[in-house]
Amino acid sequence: MTDCDAVIVGSGPGGATAAEVLTAAGWSVVVLEKGRNHLVDLEAPHEPLRHFANDEIALTRRHLLGPDPRLEPRTYRRSAADGDRLLTGEVNNLPSTVGGGGVHADAKLPRLREEDLHLRSARGPVDAASVEDWPVQYADLEPHYTAVERSFGVAGEDGANPFAAWRSGPFPMPPGPDMPMAVVSSAAAARAGWHPYRAPTGANSVPYDGRPACVDCGFCGGYGCPVHAKGDPIAALQRALRTGRCDVRPDAYATEILLERAGRRATGVRYLDLTGYPDPRVSEVHATHAVILAAGAFETPRLLLRNGLGGDLVGRFLTFHFQTFTVGIFPEATGGERGRSVTHLHDDLMVDAPDLRAAATAAGLPWLRGGVVEHGSGPGPIDEACTYAAGAGHLPSMIDSALRRRLWVFTMQGEDLPQVTNRVDLDPSVRDAWGFPAGRVTYAPHRHELAASAYAAPLHEAVMTDAGAHATFSATSPPQDDLDRHASRSPLGVAPASRHVMGTARMGSDPSTSVVSPEQRLWGVDNLLVCDSSVFVTASGYNPTLTLAALAHRAATLLSGGP
Amino acid sequence: MFDAVSRVAVAGALDEQVPGAAALGAVDYVERLLAALDHDPPHIWAAPGAWAGDGPRWLDLGPWERHAWAERIAELRALYARVVDGTATDADRRVLHTHACEATYGDPAYGGNAGGGGWQRIDFPEPLLPPARGR
Repeated sequence: MTDCDAVIVGSGPGGATAAEVLTAAGWSVVVLEKGRNHLVDLEAPHEPLRHFANDEIALTRRHLLGPDPRLEPRTYRRSAADGDRLLTGEVNNLPSTVGGGGVHADAKLPRLREEDLHLRSARGPVDAASVEDWPVQYADLEPHYTAVERSFGVAGEDGANPFAAWRSGPFPMPPGPDMPMAVVSSAAAARAGWHPYRAPTGANSVPYDGRPACVDCGFCGGYGCPVHAKGDPIAALQRALRTGRCDVRPDAYATEILLERAGRRATGVRYLDLTGYPDPRVSEVHATHAVILAAGAFETPRLLLRNGLGGDLVGRFLTFHFQTFTVGIFPEATGGERGRSVTHLHDDLMVDAPDLRAAATAAGLPWLRGGVVEHGSGPGPIDEACTYAAGAGHLPSMIDSALRRRLWVFTMQGEDLPQVTNRVDLDPSVRDAWGFPAGRVTYAPHRHELAASAYAAPLHEAVMTDAGAHATFSATSPPQDDLDRHASRSPLGVAPASRHVMGTARMGSDPSTSVVSPEQRLWGVDNLLVCDSSVFVTASGYNPTLTLAALAHRAATLLSGGP
Repeated sequence: MFDAVSRVAVAGALDEQVPGAAALGAVDYVERLLAALDHDPPHIWAAPGAWAGDGPRWLDLGPWERHAWAERIAELRALYARVVDGTATDADRRVLHTHACEATYGDPAYGGNAGGGGWQRIDFPEPLLPPARGR
């Protein structure tokens, strides 16, 4: 007796995409989501909920999107030399809510380039890193990229990025309005010989799929969209729900993957119903065909590790994007209070070039890759206020507003090379509110990331100066200098601030070097799939969401018998 | 929540962090936070405003979220007792700094930033899609 054809753990971009594909193929699915629902009415006709506003307190200070670190602490250390942990609290906290990480993102949705998927073949190995080719190539993924761009609704400009991989069709929508300062910084980047372009963005530039166009309210990155112009992943969830074959269960904390006696086949998931307090009811959902893990590259390995599944490689090769922020402080306001946080990108430091080769040689590395660079605005006023010292200088600093109103920033999402020692595992003593071991990040950058950052920062500072900044500086996350200073004052803290978490259940063709197969099936438990960024083999330097959704689309299509 | 003497102490401590915070309602902000669970739904997350149509003014919390906030607020009550007693620690003052910033530059729905005065003094534009305001 089963409850559905497939049970999916996690309702973010990967889980929602898998649900959309499987329900379209006639499967019934149950989606378990640990967080609460602020996104979409689970009763027909499944209209968007109205829970989000332009509200810095609810969204960035009071954990509306979860997880609350009191209930779900995570821990971080740079290496075993830090002891069991360096800090406990918020570490890479992607939202824990229906819609997952898609809810808070400003929805920059680039594709990977062809080279990103065969980096070892294209560039070669790097000492002390595990640079490998993916078992899928761009041509395999392209139809699925196209499908998820249509599902989420991606606004972009065909042909604008000379380095982009080929596409089989146009973007579903034209790009939205430019942020004025992005036009200025893009012009300066072009004068430096770079090739900025309008960012592919999953926010409607025109009415699309029954949802309105973005109103450029300015509360984008870090916020749920008040008008649901962002389609990731509400669009996919709505389509799944409207088939009548999708049951989304919020407040459902997956605790155990149920296996048949031989342990070779998953039969369902045991979970806690968190609507009960203080003793949440233990429930089970049983699936005929498959169990799909789509809880993200932090929670998926945590669940596998708690269940003793997947072997010693689970949790390893954790990657983020090693972020380099180049800040420009301008004499006048940059106008960043409105817009979609980021409207322009450039990719030039992802592309092989003589200067990058020379920098690599100077650093003793075979090659260097930077990352996509976002041209973006600064923080909200509360975040800015918290960075200034108390006392008489506080108001003058806020009025001067060097770190918000007059700020513009290049954020390089630097490629982070996989290392076996960088991992998610189970903290030996910190527990969550339900008694389960907290997830622990052990992470330190490879010297490739440090060299790429050191190469990129002065170049971007020069571009900022050319754009009109009268002061510039650069910083990284995680920081590489005085940790005490960052712990007490920096809004980014000491742990990696990147929410681009990848690589903890990597895919491959060899069970001895990977956790899941090219079809994203766990080696040894053939009907247990992973459909999130855990499966990434390398991090690339591009925002991961569209790729993880394309992979989920492909895996679910293959699972349900598609081509 | 705070008596008159305590209000003076709390206002002084918040103003020490962000001068002018008290005049913009920072003590009200703290009082409302400390009393947030006296309401149903709790006054933790303001709901969207009139632009989103009629609806509740506050979003509900799940039982575990209430539990987390109950713990947090209990600790904050103890912290503000130390502020009133004059025994606040450096760690307490870091929390006061955060609260003074939230109260001065957060949405008026939470009791601070009276009339949007905090935003006006830094030339921050009124949000297009604000939360509901008022009790």
